[in-house]
Amino acid sequence: MAAPQGHLSPAEGAYRSEPQVRAIARLRGVRKVFQRGAERITVLDGLDLEVPDGSFEALMGPSGSGKTTLLNLIAGLDRPTAGTIEVAGANLTDMTDGELARWRARTIGFIFQSYNLMPVLTALENVELPLLLTKLPAAERRKRARTALRVVGLEHRLHHFPRQLSGGQEQRVAIARALVSDPQIIVADEPTGDLDRHSADEILDLLERLNKEFRKTILMVTHDPHAAERATIIRRLDKGALT
Amino acid sequence: MIPVAYNLRSLAVRRTTTLATAFGVALVVFVLASARMLSEGIRRTLGQGGRADTAIVLRKGSDAELASSIEEPMVGLVLAAPGVARDSRGGGLGVGEVVVVITMEKAGMPGQVSNVLVRGVPDHVMQLRPEVRIVAGRPARPGTDEVIIGQRIAGRFVGLELGRSFELRKNRPVVVVGVFAAEGSSFESEIWGDLNTVRNSFGREGIVSSVRVRLESPAKFDAFAAAVAQDKQLGLEAMRETDFLRKASEGTAEFVGILGMLIALFFSIGAMIGAMITMYASIASRQREIGTLRALGFSRLSILASFLLEAVLLALLGGLVGAGMSLLMGFVRFSMINFATWSEVVFSFSPTVEIIGSALAFAAGMGVLGGLLPAVRAARLSPLQAIRG
Repeated sequence: MAAPQGHLSPAEGAYRSEPQVRAIARLRGVRKVFQRGAERITVLDGLDLEVPDGSFEALMGPSGSGKTTLLNLIAGLDRPTAGTIEVAGANLTDMTDGELARWRARTIGFIFQSYNLMPVLTALENVELPLLLTKLPAAERRKRARTALRVVGLEHRLHHFPRQLSGGQEQRVAIARALVSDPQIIVADEPTGDLDRHSADEILDLLERLNKEFRKTILMVTHDPHAAERATIIRRLDKGALT
Repeated sequence: MIPVAYNLRSLAVRRTTTLATAFGVALVVFVLASARMLSEGIRRTLGQGGRADTAIVLRKGSDAELASSIEEPMVGLVLAAPGVARDSRGGGLGVGEVVVVITMEKAGMPGQVSNVLVRGVPDHVMQLRPEVRIVAGRPARPGTDEVIIGQRIAGRFVGLELGRSFELRKNRPVVVVGVFAAEGSSFESEIWGDLNTVRNSFGREGIVSSVRVRLESPAKFDAFAAAVAQDKQLGLEAMRETDFLRKASEGTAEFVGILGMLIALFFSIGAMIGAMITMYASIASRQREIGTLRALGFSRLSILASFLLEAVLLALLGGLVGAGMSLLMGFVRFSMINFATWSEVVFSFSPTVEIIGSALAFAAGMGVLGGLLPAVRAARLSPLQAIRG
């Protein structure tokens, strides 16, 4: 597989052997309470967490343990009820909706369990989407989207629509979309949840490669112990607290 | 910005609902554009044929030829007024005409009748109206029971065909010897006969309805009108022919235009509700897509603009279809009663760039109004709520 050019910067050497000196995400006293009718459900309760820059973390735990909520808070998709969240040098707690959207576009790459591709756009157009939020000219956007698709091994499926791709291929397009804008962090919510074992292994190989070669910090929520084994750090959540 | 291809292809994917909604908008645009084209056709037909250097003289207080009555000796006085152009023999260039309305049976519709305007004209009428030309047959001979008919009514009434005869009045048969064109003006919906034949048939001997005069120049009108008005004995008033025809067309054209607009506005409420329902349904089934776009960093404004644009594109699709359908109406002839003469006049639908442009703008407006609330709803979805579906 060819290495991407230009905006993607592959790391040299093995990441596991390097010291981890900086936290890319820092959570202090984070509390998240959901209101469901008259009932108040505390999902996260005073959680403290530091995510080292360049790590590949797996968040595990039973359903309802708060792992997806934690992922959404770090990704700027949700706001805490209390506490502070600092990610990639930005205090998310103080940001407006618009500022958060711009910050997400610059900082976070998303991978969803159900791929979440636009069904009416081709693979190339789907991958180009995040770049429409930049000032890059159209030709450059196309070039970068092609490069990202080459990284995930789909250079021969550029003009295919999601319905013309297998589940594994769709998720690879989603990974290309997540990395095309060169974000510091990639968040993946059950990225292999809808895939067979073979396709899941391919996706995990890719995530591992993004972490090792391109030094992307990866936060992955998973139920699957086999998937979690690929991470450098495994954290477990139970009843809103890290165990 | 979210690519337009996303909206276009989303519309194409939901082609059944897209087409149904577009059809509703198309109907509105068709009605609106057709009514305005007909209104324009009426203005062109009734307003055409007027010349700035021609004046029409009517009995004071009469705003139509049908209601006017002028004694024959006054025609000479009018033609002698200052500013009137001279013919080759040195006489004033003008004609006194009598106008009556008769009831005739429509061809192919037994029992159905309508009014037709009959104009009694002197033999030198063509001097004043060079735009009138015979397109079939020949001119009527003066002093005979021969008539010529306008090409728009030829064949539309029983007896109004070249070589056929009909009764001008009971026991007063006339024969059609020619068909004439008059540059699309309302004259093409008239029957022209000899002045005395028409007058005698209707007991209007010694009377004309109007006097038309050619002026030396358009600038001479004020002096001519003042001279006509000054003579209190005459009891007449003069108008420029262009003003007279415009006034005659105003009532009918405005009636059709306003009626069409009201019908279109009424229909447009239904079409807008249709567009709104379609967009709400579309947004409900695309919540996950909206959530993903928001997660990727697209702002609320981008989402709002994208879905509003989609609604406008949907409405414009309908607008184009409706405008296309209305253009086909250009091939249709439509007859209705002219309120100024209470006789049937045949009109055509006259498309203009302004009419088609404003009909499309109206469609786009329907798209904006119908799509605004659904687009606001889409923009207000939180990314998380939307991703969960």
